[in-house]
Amino acid sequence: MRRIFLVAQREFVQNVRTKGFWFGILFFPVMLTAFIAVPQLLERAKSVRRYAVIDESGWLLEAVNARIAANDLRRVLEVAAEAPDRRADGWEVLAPALQESSLMLAELSEEERGALAAALLGGGDGAGLSPLATRVRERYGGDIRAWWDAVSREDLRRLGSDFSFARYVQVPAPDGPDAQAELTRQVSAGELFAYFVLEADPVAGGRASRYVSNNLTDEDLRAWFGYQASSEVRERRLAQERIDPAVARWIQAPLRIEVRKVTATGEEEAIGSRDKLRQWAPVVFVYLLWISVFSVSQMLMMNTVEEKSSRVIEVLLSSVSPVELLAGKITGIAATGLTMVLSWLLVLFFGTKYLPAFFGAPADLELSALASDPLLIGSFLAYFVLGYLFFAAILAGLGSVCNTVSDAQNMMPAIMLVLFVPLLSMVPIGRDPNGALAQILSYIPPFTPFVMMNRAAGPPTMLEYVLTTLLLLVSIVVALWAGAKVFRIGILLTGKPPRLREILRWVRAPVGVVPVRKEDPR
Amino acid sequence: MRPALVLDRVAKRFGDVVAVDSVSLEVPRGAIYGFIGPNGAGKTTTIRMIMSILYPDSGTITVLDSRNPEAVKDRLGYLPEEKGLYKKMRTAELLAYFGRLKGMRTGEATARARRLLDAFGLGEWADRKSETLSKGMGQKVQILATLIHDPELVILDEPFSGLDPVNVDLVRNVILDVRRQGRTVIFSTHVMEQAEQLCDFIFLIHRGRKVLDGTLRDVRQSGEPCVAVDFDGDGAALQGLPGVRRVNDRGKTAELFLEDGADPQALLKLLVERFRVRRFDLREPSLHEVFIRAVAEKRDA
Repeated sequence: MRRIFLVAQREFVQNVRTKGFWFGILFFPVMLTAFIAVPQLLERAKSVRRYAVIDESGWLLEAVNARIAANDLRRVLEVAAEAPDRRADGWEVLAPALQESSLMLAELSEEERGALAAALLGGGDGAGLSPLATRVRERYGGDIRAWWDAVSREDLRRLGSDFSFARYVQVPAPDGPDAQAELTRQVSAGELFAYFVLEADPVAGGRASRYVSNNLTDEDLRAWFGYQASSEVRERRLAQERIDPAVARWIQAPLRIEVRKVTATGEEEAIGSRDKLRQWAPVVFVYLLWISVFSVSQMLMMNTVEEKSSRVIEVLLSSVSPVELLAGKITGIAATGLTMVLSWLLVLFFGTKYLPAFFGAPADLELSALASDPLLIGSFLAYFVLGYLFFAAILAGLGSVCNTVSDAQNMMPAIMLVLFVPLLSMVPIGRDPNGALAQILSYIPPFTPFVMMNRAAGPPTMLEYVLTTLLLLVSIVVALWAGAKVFRIGILLTGKPPRLREILRWVRAPVGVVPVRKEDPR
Repeated sequence: MRPALVLDRVAKRFGDVVAVDSVSLEVPRGAIYGFIGPNGAGKTTTIRMIMSILYPDSGTITVLDSRNPEAVKDRLGYLPEEKGLYKKMRTAELLAYFGRLKGMRTGEATARARRLLDAFGLGEWADRKSETLSKGMGQKVQILATLIHDPELVILDEPFSGLDPVNVDLVRNVILDVRRQGRTVIFSTHVMEQAEQLCDFIFLIHRGRKVLDGTLRDVRQSGEPCVAVDFDGDGAALQGLPGVRRVNDRGKTAELFLEDGADPQALLKLLVERFRVRRFDLREPSLHEVFIRAVAEKRDA
């Protein structure tokens, strides 16, 4: 026991000192930060798209621009509404009227704030507004409007909201019959991202409007402008058919519930991914499990090879028996791996709690709840230990027959082949956690840890947990027994690594034929 | 006093190859015992069995009065032929680790590791990684690792191979030191001069079988007496001398084996006529000669 502990202690201390270990420790926080920060940074870094519009209808562009402005004003109202508890950045930019109306604005729904913004800019009688919105309009409307007309875009940017002008800048289209030719030239010269040609009678809808751009992959501008224009056209059609605005709203009402997710531009993805999060969270853990089991058991293999290639092995064997050495190595590297994995879990727990706020995104409660879900965390730790033991036994056996790192690398493709199965089955199992594929793979020991982790969204029945774990435990015992048998022969072997067939013969061979220890004669 | 090591009809096969064939041997305490034999003779296999790295198929091994090798492992020091260090460990830490594996306490092992490194002129490398050591320094550290726990029985497998003359002297002194402290040394070599200079006893193994075993003197006397000659001139002139049965010509020196009843005086006279003789020494044959003869006889048999 003393020797096993000493070997384990050395393995742990030496591995913790390696760069690879710290790379492993840092790998996950970096990934997590990137996962949270990169979309935010990308959003900010998106270059401004310059576009022009030729309006053959003579009215649609003006109406769309009014909508765009109303939308941006709505965002200002939202900043004001959020401010009392969040102390938004750039609070001082807001008009005193907005600051004062903050609490009232917070009472309004998002939809009501949209209508209020439109009413503030469009004038009119504000017939469709809710009573509270009407009060805001009557008390503060003039001041807000005056502030809005005067405020600079630079000041607005400080509010940090996703204003349309931060991404899309409309440039006036040239006049005259050559306008299109001129815009086409600008697009091909790269001076303009795209231009629209709105047809003469969009309400009738007889002909297509056009969108001309060199960039066919980034469709944001077309989708955004097209949406504003279609909304406007839709309202005109209602009006043309003399449908009462209230009736129109009523007709549109069920649709609006659907639209509600979409109108909050940019948030539609967040909502979608949040719904999927529950289903797909285990996949993240499968990835982590895969990376940790694989890298840690490979660490064991490489350490074994290193002891052989640096010829230190025989010195060791004069002090410890092969089985003590193997047990010490497996324990020491398990401790290394657990340190790494536990640090990941801590990072996951605290990271999901505090990181989003750090990057200015709302704290994601669902995400941090998942990061402390006992089923996920518990199975992750348990399957890490079990999966590691299984693969460690096999890789230590294989490592022991290799003399150089390149011998070991030659063996990796075969192991990778096995290890790729749980990666390939990850998505199908995530979709159908209790399907036939998931159930069958659960009972194949090399895959059990990954597949059962994958199925945590199901989750599998208790009986399945018990049966698969029993099967896995039995396989671990067999793997350790076979691994130790190969290890005690392999570590003394020099020259060309034996073929797999020969290794299997060692495993099957009775004690005595191969140089394994005999019972003490006394 | 009981012997440090007893092998009783020990045998080991690897598949069809008999590596060690019924070898019996007794190593007295406080002796320096040399294992000699050609490559592949079974020296390393025998040593590995003594160290319980391999286990014999039959026969018994008694090390330091114990038949259970695990029990005495901590009292043995072993320097394998294939030896190395953990490259990423600091030198003192590495030595202390080997000491602790042999049952030393952490503090004791660390202190002794530093003391040994200082004594062998490696003090400033104590806190550097062992990969920064030169080859010779690495070899020194390996020897220190063998000795850190003051083993009662030290077993060195080919300790002189690949050493420069300075380190050869160092290893020789270490071996003599260990003996001076009343402890036992076994080492294997195929450099006969080393064995001749150091050993009290010689064990010659060939093709897994014991060929010769006894004190250095007995082993040498088992060969026929000869004349050692140092000379300047063409060694071809040594051939066909009357009364000389066989010649080992080594360029500047030679061993001449006389026929029964031949007169060394007459031989000297003949030699002086042919070239300049710097030394003329009538004595028992060198270990080298005994070795060559024993191996050659075996081959003929």
